Order: sequence, then C-alpha cells, then structure tokens
Amino acid sequence: MHIVDGALSNPVVIGGAVAAAGGIALGLRALPLERIPAAGVLSASFFVASLVHVPIGPSSVHLILNGLAGIVLGWAAFPALFVGLLLQAVFFGFGGLTVLGVNTLNIALPAVLAWMLFGRLAASGTPLAGAVWAGIGGAFAIAATTVMVGLALALSGDEFLPAAKLVFFAHIPVMAIEGLLTGFAVLLARKVKPELFTSLKGARA
Amino acid sequence: MKRIVLLLTLCLAAPVPALAHKVIAGVFPSGSAIEGEIGFSNGDMAADTTVSVFGPEGASLGEAVTDADGFFTFVPEQPVAHTFRADLGAGHVAEVTMPAAEVAAILGETALEAEETAAAPAPAATGGGVTVAALTGEERQVIAEAVRAEVRPLRREIAAYREHNDFQTILGGLGYIAGLFGLGFYIAARRKLAG
Repeated sequence: MHIVDGALSNPVVIGGAVAAAGGIALGLRALPLERIPAAGVLSASFFVASLVHVPIGPSSVHLILNGLAGIVLGWAAFPALFVGLLLQAVFFGFGGLTVLGVNTLNIALPAVLAWMLFGRLAASGTPLAGAVWAGIGGAFAIAATTVMVGLALALSGDEFLPAAKLVFFAHIPVMAIEGLLTGFAVLLARKVKPELFTSLKGARA
Repeated sequence: MKRIVLLLTLCLAAPVPALAHKVIAGVFPSGSAIEGEIGFSNGDMAADTTVSVFGPEGASLGEAVTDADGFFTFVPEQPVAHTFRADLGAGHVAEVTMPAAEVAAILGETALEAEETAAAPAPAATGGGVTVAALTGEERQVIAEAVRAEVRPLRREIAAYREHNDFQTILGGLGYIAGLFGLGFYIAARRKLAG
C-alpha cells in the first residue's frame, strides 16, 4: 500500500497532495475537543497495524484499520491517518514524503466513504447488527483503498496496470480479516461505551 | 472508553514482530565491472529482475539481469554517471546512481591492469639476481574475487541492519502520536475556555 517516491507521475502527486490537504482541513473542522483522544488512539492503532507485514509474492500486505477509523471518526479520520502516515514515512521510510498526500488520500478517503455508507447503520440497531455493518464497512474500506492505489498507479503509466491488479487480489484476505476485526471492535465499543458513536451526532448538529 | 484504552494499552505492551520491508539498492566497483544488488530490506532479494541502465541525459546504456541472490554486473564503456533502475512491481521502484568519477576510475583501472599484464613477462628476462615478483594481473583478479566473495554477506548484513525497525522506534512513533494529539487537545481546550 505504501507507494514509494518516484513511482507516480507529477500530476498525480500534486493532485493527491491538494486533495489530501482539503480532506485534512475538513477533518480538523469536524474534530471537536471530545473526539481528539479517540482520534489519537485510532491513529496509534493504524500506526501499529501497518507495521506487521505478511509477504505475498514480490510484495507484502498488512492491516490498515482505516474502516474502523472512518466509522468512529468520520471526516476526522483524515488528520488521524495523516499523522500515522507522516510518522511512518519519517521513522521507517514507508512510502515517501513527496507521495504522502497520495497515500493519505488513498487511505483516508475510503475511511470517510465507509463512514458515509455504513456509519449510521453501525451506530443504530442492536450492538450485534451494528457490528455486522461495521465489519462490512471495514472490508469495504480495504477494497476501496486497493482500487484507489491501483488508480494512482494506472494514472502514472500503463506499465503499472498488472501491479494494480496484483494489489487488489493480494488484499482479498486482508478484506476478510479486517472486516472481522472491525466488527468485533465495534461490537465491544457499542457494549461498553455506546456514546462513542452517538456523540458524533451532537457534533454535527 | 477507559476499558478500551486499557485493552489497547495491554495489547500494545506485548512486543509485536515488525516484519516491515522497503526497497534497497546499491552499486559498487567490482574490478572492471559495476556490481549491484537490489531487493527488499527484509532479505527478500529481487531475483531474475531486469535492470535498465541510463546515462546522464536518460540515454539507454544497456541492461542487466539479477541472479538468484539479487546481484547483477554491468561493464561500463563510457566514463559517465550510470543510473540503474528496476521495477519490482506493486509500486516498488529501485533506482541508484554511480557517479561519473567512480565509473572513470573503473575504466582507468582496466587500462592499468592491461598494462600490468603486458609488463608481466619482463622479470623473466632479467636472468641472474634476486627478483621480487610483483603481482600479475591474473593474481590480482583472483584476490579481488576472493575479497568480494567474503565482503558480500557482510554488505547484505549491514543493509539489513540499517533497515531494522526495532521495538524502540515503534514506541517512539506512538509517543509522537500521543504528543501530537495531546498538543491538539491542549489547544482545543484553551480555545474552549476562552470562548
């Protein structure tokens, strides 16, 4: 998932940076005082989950947890995931600083989409029903991320088309695992701290 | 929320294996050729991968293919900077450049070795007297190959160590996240109190 420096063409890098900056601005406005600790915890969860790599073919895959961040935070997932990606680029060299905008957009925008599509469903009904919808949202976020990574690669050159297909199929097991993980996390949150989801409505009002 | 934070803290307290990787590439002089290695920092090397060689203005100088250990060799013909580029798939691109001075040194070394070989028969014509035999070009080549074979695993180990992501660095990243979000919380609280 970490696109490296030099792999994308300049228009893709610039467009990704501008879109990511807009997303972060929207996210900061949607991040009230009470939500900052939750954003920090989810940023740390993303940071750690992305460090455990499982090799597949010439590359490797890892959990992302951006679906979980999106369902809990909404637009605030943009600054939370941006912080995680920035620290990974600085500490470990994953991805690069010039492509930080594209990586942020590829990971955070699917999180926001998962929130738009499944956030209300995950927050309503019984905890078990909410967990099922959250699991679907988690798997959807991984699928959308692979599509966006493939799109970024395809826009940079035709020779990346086989790589884009490889990225998508390699992440099908990750979709299943992350869906289960997100579902169980939301089930636990709904049972022990249901206001984690309901307070977001107050923030929007 | 307290239970979630406690659960996450307990999970994070358990050390997790960081099996991360990133693209590594390096080139170095090797007798009359340029030798390089390409792969990932977790030890997976790029086997049977095509490496394209470019000159300073992007002119194509040739190609090389890596062996099973991710090593390749390329014989330079012009004393210009050589850029080596390989596409490892899934967005991983390895690119490394050897400056013109090093390439010129390789070409100069080749010329020197040619002279050395031509001068080798000279001591035999001396006849009487004690002669200290200098190394012939052939002997020099054998020694260079032996040294390269010994240095290769050390070089790989140094590259792997440089890319090692230990538990301490992960904790540092988590500390930065806590610090950044704590600072954000402080700023938001100040704004709320002022309002």
